[in-house]
Amino acid sequence: MIEIGITGTNTITFPYLEVWDWRIVLYLFLGGLSAGMLVMCSIANLRIPKQPVEELAQCVRAPLIAFIVLAVGALFIIFDLGSPFNLIWGYLTFQPLSLMSWGTWGVPIVLFANALYILAVIPKDQRHRLKFSFLIKISEKLALKMRPIAKLNFALGIFLGIYTGVLLSSFSAIPLWNNATLPILFLISALSSGAAMIVIIAKKAEIKFLFTKIDIWLIVAELVVIALFFYGLYTSTAPYKKAIEPFFSLTSEHFIFTVALIAIFLLLPLALRIKLGELKEFQNEVHEEFTKAQIFRMNFAAVLVIAGTLILRAAIVYAGQLTKLSPY
Amino acid sequence: MPKYVMVIDVERCIGCMACVIACKKENNVADGYFRTRVVEEVRGEFPYLKMELRSELCNHCENAPCIDACPTRASHRAKDGTVQIDKKKCIGCKACILACPYDARYSTPEGVADKCTFCEHRIKEGKKPACVETCLGKSRIFGDLDDPNSEVSQLLKKHDAAVRLEFAGTKPRVFYINKKFAGGL
Repeated sequence: MIEIGITGTNTITFPYLEVWDWRIVLYLFLGGLSAGMLVMCSIANLRIPKQPVEELAQCVRAPLIAFIVLAVGALFIIFDLGSPFNLIWGYLTFQPLSLMSWGTWGVPIVLFANALYILAVIPKDQRHRLKFSFLIKISEKLALKMRPIAKLNFALGIFLGIYTGVLLSSFSAIPLWNNATLPILFLISALSSGAAMIVIIAKKAEIKFLFTKIDIWLIVAELVVIALFFYGLYTSTAPYKKAIEPFFSLTSEHFIFTVALIAIFLLLPLALRIKLGELKEFQNEVHEEFTKAQIFRMNFAAVLVIAGTLILRAAIVYAGQLTKLSPY
Repeated sequence: MPKYVMVIDVERCIGCMACVIACKKENNVADGYFRTRVVEEVRGEFPYLKMELRSELCNHCENAPCIDACPTRASHRAKDGTVQIDKKKCIGCKACILACPYDARYSTPEGVADKCTFCEHRIKEGKKPACVETCLGKSRIFGDLDDPNSEVSQLLKKHDAAVRLEFAGTKPRVFYINKKFAGGL
């Protein structure tokens, strides 16, 4: 029998850590979504090599939406900062061992590269919407460099997608987060949500079909990595094993995590099935035009994937803070 | 550079909590927040019970994960070897709080990280930390480990000391002697 009474406890650390809340969850989700979109629209814009540059850009709205999504995500993390005005100190130094420092520098760099991408993919007939003549000129010049800019955004998207997971996994004091599978899981789920988002926003049948195919493989990979994530923790030492208990416990306190787990293993496979169904239909027919039902099913599956990504991040952020290395 | 450490003689703690109050008073710690705590741990089956009173605080680790986690160098190693926070540089990202395996840090109402400083301002004046000064049972002993004649050096030579969560590899500078439940550390 062990009884523990503690005098002199801080509310944010006892009975468990309550340090990062929904704002961080939204930052991780929106950051991942933006990263996935950047990677996926780079793929769409880079995959046809021998065409005039003006015709290369297949995804023109995705970089703009990715920019907005990431900017909103960054706002949430700024809201979470206790002293946001001290952020200037973050830009007066770079701490290679601090993942927060990587984020402090990384997010504005990604936003800048993303802004270049937005300007590079704007179609000729839409450039007048830029209002300012200097922006139109920059856009004209950047359009010629669309491919290298897309490559840069691809790389930065991978960085951003994996960064959110590496940030959590760097905390060795939090057993649930501190493992090498988490960055891979976050990267795959980010790519998957990015692909899903592009399926939702794409107008061209060809692009919807391409990302439906890509997303099927990403969902399969995500489900495998989620299983490995839990297996790895289960076969580890006591604090790590304890860390996954909230997910598999039906007590009222932890039930929310069980629901999250069920949702992850329900929503994603459901989306996978719907997407596979779409794929079969497309393979038998020429996919120039969509029926309304096909569009609905495809968008519904994509929404499920995005919901799964959000639930996954929320569950991992909250459940992680329930367990610590110390025995109480 | 001195190597300031704290030795906690677990058997000498009487649980008066004077250390907790002295720390709050000395460092003007806000209501509801604490830089040090006392854990009362009872183990065994009735009637064969054993109790340990264990003071816990920032371990001023040699491999401090809080320093690595800090994006602005607000958490840093001071010239005297202790781990300190420059509150003017702290952005309140709370990464250091999550990085600390000992839950020694917290976020103040002003939104910056805070923790035990080993009463940095007092040791600069050659005094002992407030909790050590006020400890009735002389359970908390403070000094320079690099000085072979210091009380802490002598105690650590004599006793088989333990540190909290040794497996975490943070090399704490708070040592526990006469410990009862090394597993509970």
